[in-house]
Amino acid sequence: MTNRSLPRLLQSPAVILLLIWMLIPLGMTLYFSFIRYVLNSLRRPEWTQPSLSNWRGFGNYEFVLNNKDFLFAIQNSLFIVCSILFLTVMLGVMIAVLINKAFPGRGIVRVLLISPFFVMPAVNAVLWINMILDPVLGLQGLAVAGINTLIDGLQTAPIVGSFFSLWPEIEPISFRATQTSAYAVIIMVTWQWTPFAVLIFMTSLQSEDQQQKEAATLDGAGPWSQFRFLTLPHLARPIAIVVMIQAIFHLSLYAEIEIVSRGNGNKNLPYLIGEFANNNIGAASATGIFAVILANIVAIFLLRMIGKTLME
Amino acid sequence: MGQIVLEKVSKSFGETQVIPPLDLTIEDGEFAVFVGPSGCGKSTLLRLIAGLEDTTSGTVSIDGENVTEVSPSKRGLAMVFQTYALYPHMTVRKNIAFPMRMAGLSEEEQDRRIMAAAESLNLVDYLDRKPGQLSGGQRQRVAIGRAIVRNPSAFLFDEPLSNLDAALRVGMRIEISEMHARMKTTMIYVTHDQVEAMTMADKIVVLQSGVIEQVGSPLELYSAPRNLFVAGFIGSPKMNLIDGEEAAKHGAKTIGIRPEHIDVVEDGGIWMGTIGVAERLGSDTFFHVNGTGLAETLTVRALGDVALRHGDTIHLNPRADEIHRFDAQGLRVS
Repeated sequence: MTNRSLPRLLQSPAVILLLIWMLIPLGMTLYFSFIRYVLNSLRRPEWTQPSLSNWRGFGNYEFVLNNKDFLFAIQNSLFIVCSILFLTVMLGVMIAVLINKAFPGRGIVRVLLISPFFVMPAVNAVLWINMILDPVLGLQGLAVAGINTLIDGLQTAPIVGSFFSLWPEIEPISFRATQTSAYAVIIMVTWQWTPFAVLIFMTSLQSEDQQQKEAATLDGAGPWSQFRFLTLPHLARPIAIVVMIQAIFHLSLYAEIEIVSRGNGNKNLPYLIGEFANNNIGAASATGIFAVILANIVAIFLLRMIGKTLME
Repeated sequence: MGQIVLEKVSKSFGETQVIPPLDLTIEDGEFAVFVGPSGCGKSTLLRLIAGLEDTTSGTVSIDGENVTEVSPSKRGLAMVFQTYALYPHMTVRKNIAFPMRMAGLSEEEQDRRIMAAAESLNLVDYLDRKPGQLSGGQRQRVAIGRAIVRNPSAFLFDEPLSNLDAALRVGMRIEISEMHARMKTTMIYVTHDQVEAMTMADKIVVLQSGVIEQVGSPLELYSAPRNLFVAGFIGSPKMNLIDGEEAAKHGAKTIGIRPEHIDVVEDGGIWMGTIGVAERLGSDTFFHVNGTGLAETLTVRALGDVALRHGDTIHLNPRADEIHRFDAQGLRVS
């Protein structure tokens, strides 16, 4: 046995196990996506068993592509993911810079800031949609009602009353509605994942070179210029990492979408797969393959982007 | 122009006073070196002048103008840091351009000054590289370039050569000295290395625990140290300090004599002892002499190679006119 083959041999169990782990589900999904396979059919009972004799070719793919929800699901997936990424990175950088300065009680503030990350996604969704965003019983409903009462009161006041009587009554927003359910998901996931971004940026800020900042101070750079020319470039790598990790996680959002509106006006690819999988396993598998392709496209873009920042 | 005057300047961090009130004047065009052991407050003093630290009391003036409350960037000083503090994601060109960009200079003016600085510092070929691709010496030159383009009224150097290897350090030392001779701008240079201080300075400020022990030209400090601390700190190898009977003979608590002022004689010297370690440098030989009964060891310099070995007996003759005398308070008696 040569020197090289021994390490390979020793590695092989892990490699083979990982390959099986990945290839079997992928192979089965591919197989199901090319046959007619449903869970329940009184008219065609032979379709309820996966079999090569039910071969459908690209029929399932055609069916999925022609489904009215498919394009919407892709667009909506990207919209949700991009919005969450944008908001978490923005908020994450701002909060991290803010709590990087020493102030009394900083330790407690940091712990409190991290805590949303430990809430389970389903709990997070139930909490937000029922207790905060609900137009009647949630904090939103209470706040809107409070503002309306205040305006009502001001309308009868002397002097300023005539001004406030022009104000309309504010309507609370229903976040379970078709038009707004995606925003509800974006809000709650942003709330949950901003701490993750803060945590990563905070550790990175602690390794920022203080002498560079002093040099910049002497060079005439104010706080904003220091942030723009020193801190932001310093954070480029952690931002890339946060974007990559979150993109992977948020492409597969499910619990929040299910709980907020059961997919009403707000579907992504995983949710569409779930809907198809109620009966049509063939179509669900075909959608799954589309999801794999989408994830790979996103991953290639991200790896390129991150590869660039890591090279520097 | 760049005369820097400190009046009653003090600095405390919380309860600890690191610099008791001190006065110091650095004349325009002078090369002043702050030297002292680590923790003596020399870097803090430099940062007070730069404005990176606020003074607890007292005033800092530049060219007669009180700048104690003026922000660091408005003081017209440029600083070179020990860690270079280059901006890692910018090219050399952008690093050097940064202060001018902040000041809003025109592109042409920026380019002109960058090229002038790069030429004088041999950086022309490296302008488009990132600091990470440069050697320590090149990085230090970039940091100096970034300081030069600002046309500061004074340069502040905070142990700029500490991170370089010995050979480079000597080279950079000469480059900085030449730069000073050419530009004739005030420079304040902080170091713990007394060789750097002696070779570069017009004026040395020796500090200990935030207190100025002595201010003077290198040779003044060498030939007339004001107290025991300066006597021991300036000069390499260190001055021999002798207490007791021998000192009493000269009417002092302590006497000091430099290794180069003790002659090695064949016979009949005033002092004698046994050679411990002999350090042969070619041009000189330093003998560490034990058992003289004066101090634990005496260091003696002999010119060239002397045929004396470990364990040999050595006869020594101090030059009487080179003996420094100090009183019980450690102050020089002249």
